[in-house]
Amino acid sequence: MLRIKTIHMKNFGAFKGDQSFDLPDEEGVSIFYGENMRGKTTLLNAFRFALIGKIIGRGRRQVSFHDMINWEARSEGERSFEVRIDLMHAGAEYRLTRTCKPKKGTPDPAVHDDYVTEYFLERGGHILSPQQAELELERILPEQISRFFLFDGELLQEYEDLMHSESDIGRKISSAIERILGLPTLTKSRDSLKAALDRAEANVALAAQGDQKTREYGNQLQSLVDERDILTKDLFRQESELDELRGRKAAIEDDMRRRERMGALFDKRDRLNEEIDALKQHVDERIEEVKIAMNSAWSAVIRTRLKAAVDEHRKRENELQSLVNRAQILRELADGDEQSCPTCLQTVTEEAQEIIRAQLPTGDEKASSEAQRELASVRRRLDALDEQLAKANPEALRQIWRSLETRKLEIYAKQGEIEEIERQLSSDAEDELRGLRREYDSVFRQITALETGVAETGEKLEENANYRDKIQKSLDKLAGGETDLAIKRRDYTSRVHALFAASVDTYREQLRHRVEADASRFFQQLTTEPEYAGLRINDSYGLTIVHRDGSDIPVRSAGAEHVVALSLVAALQNNAQLRGPIVVDSPFGRLDGGHRANIVETLPDMADQVIVLVYEEELPPARAREALKGRLRAEWTLERQSARHTELVKQ
Amino acid sequence: MVTEKLTDKKTIGITSANERVLTDLVVAGHFGSEIEAAKFAMAQAIEAGTERGTSEGAGTKWNVGSLDPDGALKAVVEALYPEEKLPYRLVEHLMNEGLRLCDKGDALPPDVAGMVISLAKEE
Repeated sequence: MLRIKTIHMKNFGAFKGDQSFDLPDEEGVSIFYGENMRGKTTLLNAFRFALIGKIIGRGRRQVSFHDMINWEARSEGERSFEVRIDLMHAGAEYRLTRTCKPKKGTPDPAVHDDYVTEYFLERGGHILSPQQAELELERILPEQISRFFLFDGELLQEYEDLMHSESDIGRKISSAIERILGLPTLTKSRDSLKAALDRAEANVALAAQGDQKTREYGNQLQSLVDERDILTKDLFRQESELDELRGRKAAIEDDMRRRERMGALFDKRDRLNEEIDALKQHVDERIEEVKIAMNSAWSAVIRTRLKAAVDEHRKRENELQSLVNRAQILRELADGDEQSCPTCLQTVTEEAQEIIRAQLPTGDEKASSEAQRELASVRRRLDALDEQLAKANPEALRQIWRSLETRKLEIYAKQGEIEEIERQLSSDAEDELRGLRREYDSVFRQITALETGVAETGEKLEENANYRDKIQKSLDKLAGGETDLAIKRRDYTSRVHALFAASVDTYREQLRHRVEADASRFFQQLTTEPEYAGLRINDSYGLTIVHRDGSDIPVRSAGAEHVVALSLVAALQNNAQLRGPIVVDSPFGRLDGGHRANIVETLPDMADQVIVLVYEEELPPARAREALKGRLRAEWTLERQSARHTELVKQ
Repeated sequence: MVTEKLTDKKTIGITSANERVLTDLVVAGHFGSEIEAAKFAMAQAIEAGTERGTSEGAGTKWNVGSLDPDGALKAVVEALYPEEKLPYRLVEHLMNEGLRLCDKGDALPPDVAGMVISLAKEE
């Protein structure tokens, strides 16, 4: 059981100067509260840096050492940082100190590669030699399994994705899980017995060569054993190369997964640019239409007033026309130009003409001509108004402009999206991504070739084993004396090897069932869905949610992935030979209140020592105290001193 | 008592303050010329209910012959302002008032799209 007692940081990220804190000896949960950008992830990285020498940022990207020196301290001339932790493991006290400083001959370091890290390990107050220190660290907390002890809650869901996939990262994680669970103890024994069996077979050949009756078989067997040794060596070499390449492929896959989003962003940016080009063409076409339409825009603006003016003028035109007509008719009747009345068609007598003349107003000539002039003026204006009204089409104008504005807005929106994307992309990220894809293809080809080689060597070994088996059987019939003894030793070793080989499978199966049972138990504690009965494990430790009717839940939300992964971590801790503390940043991810409450209550059961990094809104201190009660051992706050300086304050 | 000038204008001008607005309006409204933009500004003033008046400080920009070759502008203004005896003087006033209404300050161009899209719909 590994327990962290104290951590001491010097100019590590936001933690300026020397800052340290002691963790309680009692089992339970310690909580560090900090708002965004106060250094919670940095604190997780302090543990990670001390234990495995790595600093990982969001998206699992390795952070440059140069950027991890406290900025204020760096501006004051500081060029290094250090993290020291005091540990207890199997009753012994350890102190691990890891320092990062500029390489020799680099007075002005500026990038990650300008730095070098060094560490030393003390056990019981005595400094261990580098070799001893390396062995001890590998024993206490191997890097491969650190992801199950120190993790960012927001990345949890990836584990489950990986374990369900056939990726090399998935295989690595499965192997790390088996390592935590202690399977290598058994597999190493099995492999040692295989080596012993090979030696026993070689001894049989040697003994047979010493006997006249069996010499011929002994020679053949020796030659087959020699061939087997060569093939086995070849197979080891190939497998070791394959392992290395798979490791490289896993790292590239990991990198590519991380950059998958970046690749998608590049594609999206290119697509947006194409869409913007098409929209700009539309805008240009609309502008040509707008230019034509705007020639008569002024009429459209006052169309309502024009219509009202037309109505008024039309009315006035009618009035004036009647006035002019009446005056003209009366004049014609008075002057006798017209013999009969145009209305009743009766003849107009002299007396009637006299009456009409008497009714004619004085100055009539002048009034009539004024009315005629006004009528002409009204008609001129009417013509102009009609002409403008015909041109005025506000609806068409409105539609053209609306279409133009809509497209312009679409362009602005897309340009905004592009700006946002470009903020997320570094300038050389595109080249890096292409390089990564090329490297992936090359590694993939090499792996395929090596896998073929491994299969061929395996076939040859099998053929060799068949021959050896035949010769062994012939030898068994003829053997006596030394050969007989050697055969007995070989048979005994063979049986023990077979026993261990079978025990590996049996133990693996038992482990999987234990992990499945524990993960199911934790899952039921964590989930808020009463119809979920538990989890089912597959060969690579991937977990599937099982409904209470026995069917699998095929599709899972991000929240469900998160809960399943937490269940797995808890189950692994419960079954691990290498037990340790859990340090988790943002354990709640995007989970809702019900799940959060369940997680808080389950945290103390997940490991003996649990260190949680949260912001107060995520887990209000009052709620944490109420839920954890006596199992909440300590609380700290990450307090802002400046944008680049945070202090740890105990509550 | 102010006596109305008896002769109408032969040339129309834009005040120096409105020159910038006119330039911006041409661009923002995709107008083919400054005259079309000035007519649009005039229409804005009419629609806003601007009353008769005169503009002081307007220079000489267009000859009325080139501004209103078919007399349509004059006829429309006379129709909408029947009591006006000096229509081109009023046209000048309305154009300058319209430009003043379109002014959004140095930083922003006139919102032609807004003005067009919010045009009164037919009943």
